[in-house]
Amino acid sequence: MSRLRKAVVDWLDDNYHFGDTETLLGGDDELSFLQNGILDSLGFVKLILFLEDTVSVKISVRDIRPANFDSLGKILRYVSAMPGYREPV
Amino acid sequence: MSSGDLYLPLDEAHARASALHAFMEYCGRETRLEFAGYRELQDWAIRDCGRFWQLLLRWSRLEVAGDTEPAVTEFDCERARFFPNLKLNYSRNLLRSLGPGSDDHCAVTAVTEDGLHSSLTRGELRGAVERFAMGLRRQGIGPGDRVIGIVGNTPAAIVACLAAAAVGAIWSSVAPDIGEAAIRGRFVQLAPRLLVVHTEYLAHGVRRSLAQKIQDLLDDVASIATVVTLDAGAFPGRTRVGATFLSRAELEQHGALRMDEWELFPFNQPLFVLFSSGTTGSPKCLMHGAGGTLLEHYKEHVLHSSLGPGEKLCFQTSAGWMMWNWQLSALACGAEIVLFDGSPTFPTQDALLRILDREQVTVFGTSATYLHALQQLELSPKEVGGFGKLHTIQSTGSVLYDAQYDWIGKEFKRVRIESISGGTDIVGCFVLGNPLMPIYRGESQCIGLGMDVRVMTPDGLRRHGEGELVCVNPFPSRPVGIFGDSDGNRLHETYFNQNPGMWTHGDLVRLSERGSVRVLGRSDGTLNVRGVRIGPAEIYGIVLAVPGVSQAMAVEQRAPREPGGSRLLLLIVLQEGAILDRAMTLRLKKDLKLKGSSNHVPSVIVQVSALPMTHSGKFSEKAVAEMVNGKAVSNRAALKNPDALDAIAAHPELLSLLREQC
Repeated sequence: MSRLRKAVVDWLDDNYHFGDTETLLGGDDELSFLQNGILDSLGFVKLILFLEDTVSVKISVRDIRPANFDSLGKILRYVSAMPGYREPV
Repeated sequence: MSSGDLYLPLDEAHARASALHAFMEYCGRETRLEFAGYRELQDWAIRDCGRFWQLLLRWSRLEVAGDTEPAVTEFDCERARFFPNLKLNYSRNLLRSLGPGSDDHCAVTAVTEDGLHSSLTRGELRGAVERFAMGLRRQGIGPGDRVIGIVGNTPAAIVACLAAAAVGAIWSSVAPDIGEAAIRGRFVQLAPRLLVVHTEYLAHGVRRSLAQKIQDLLDDVASIATVVTLDAGAFPGRTRVGATFLSRAELEQHGALRMDEWELFPFNQPLFVLFSSGTTGSPKCLMHGAGGTLLEHYKEHVLHSSLGPGEKLCFQTSAGWMMWNWQLSALACGAEIVLFDGSPTFPTQDALLRILDREQVTVFGTSATYLHALQQLELSPKEVGGFGKLHTIQSTGSVLYDAQYDWIGKEFKRVRIESISGGTDIVGCFVLGNPLMPIYRGESQCIGLGMDVRVMTPDGLRRHGEGELVCVNPFPSRPVGIFGDSDGNRLHETYFNQNPGMWTHGDLVRLSERGSVRVLGRSDGTLNVRGVRIGPAEIYGIVLAVPGVSQAMAVEQRAPREPGGSRLLLLIVLQEGAILDRAMTLRLKKDLKLKGSSNHVPSVIVQVSALPMTHSGKFSEKAVAEMVNGKAVSNRAALKNPDALDAIAAHPELLSLLREQC
């Protein structure tokens, strides 16, 4: 799980916040991405593609909802519970 | 279906009812010629260019004064001037009465991402512009003064722009999310007198302050004597000595400058300054004339887009893109414009779609990027709404691919798809829709009326085939100049040097024998990132300021999975011994976002040992762009160091990106 967390934070850094992701999260992995400008809805599309490539899961479009993806904690719980999930290297 | 197949056959009834058909008949009566269709009308409009624009002006009933002779002073595209003996007022033409009761018709509807909704009738909009215009005059603003805006896509911004035009000032605006360096790079050149601002803007549910950007601009531009805030937000920067800070209410407290008191200005009086970022130097401040803009837009709106009273145009744009100016002019034909300010996918992914449906928009203008994103989200518009009034989707900014025609056709019943193309340089389009012609999959319907567009190929100038888009006859929306380019050299170098006497636009196109057009991309080094045109020079300015970076090159690479179908690659050469590590990569990206915009941020940054350079010492983006897009490098012989290209081609990260394209 900690590897997945690092992969997502790195991806957010690489694509959106360029080293400031942890500062924006402020130690709160449940902070809402949408409400705090951490990721916009088009960004979610790119994040899903990244996750599918990185941890070998297939995410249904129906599941791309705030309930599953609107915070780091939600992403970690949802993705790591998916069938076929493989911890990133 | 394959590329170029028929997407929508000609609808005879729709064609006969169209304004373009009515205009064609009018021209037939006036010239005693018979026009069997658009092709014949176009041939005549090009052959008798001056007469065509005269007849369009008369048929349009736009308000002008003076003599329509000569319509055009010469046949040479570079030197020609249109209607030197005519005067008009752009704003008067947009706000004039269009007949009994027209003042009560809705002119502007505005919706924000947080759900705020407002509207103004034509009469109300005129009243607001009259009050703002009086305020501008009280601040000493008059003909030729530059009024600049950092504004959202809001009715207040429209009021400010039209008021500036009403008193003969030149309007230039950027969107609030643009970075400080980009704002400075644009506005410092203009020596503006008055700044209009929103103090904050909303994006993805987050309200962001513009106070710092405004303060920085004031520090850099001493000529700004007045700052007007358009919203109720507090502006903490009321600090600069010698500048007056006013709220909109304070500016407007002096009554109204009635429309019939608005002066008429020469046809070629500068109206807008738009910024075109080339491959070198600071952004060019393209000055567009009032008459040319008005007449060209009227042609595009009424003849090509079938807009008029009762029509509702919603163009997904910001005040920093020429389509903002383009949509504004639609008021001249009586169409209503629907403004949307915010993120199109917030608070829900279908947010903008819901607005289009609810507001009963008839013509929706968007980008291929947005349509691509909807597809990626697997969002089904037909499940969002009925879009009962929507008859046309216009797409611009980047190429609309064949498969997107299929998707639109499936999702929006049988709407017309008009993939239109032109740009900032001409504040309009060369490539447009056409109610008199069928629509072919992956193709734009036609070249705009009166424009003798051809392709420059290695074998010379051709009417059909693939090559660089050139326009060989004069057209009124050619910029009247570049601000600060007193001898016209920069304008000449940019558009006329390559092919003397012809406008060279910088687009690669394929012109078919049936009159349709396929835009293939940019022919110069200008980047088109998610539909936004970015000059590499802007990127270089930011990147080269980072310690350790000695050279940089930005190129666009085709990437079907990315929104917009392409991604930005940045190649950098570092000072001896320096390594591009993660910290430096993040630093570069962060600087590009803060000083440029999110569109300036590359998808990939790689360190290379050298960049290919021509014998004249210019870096060759073209060579690298061809290489990273899997094409043969056409100018290899012109390179001083072709080995650099080989080293880049062997870069493991670039190789894997090349494989992704397949």
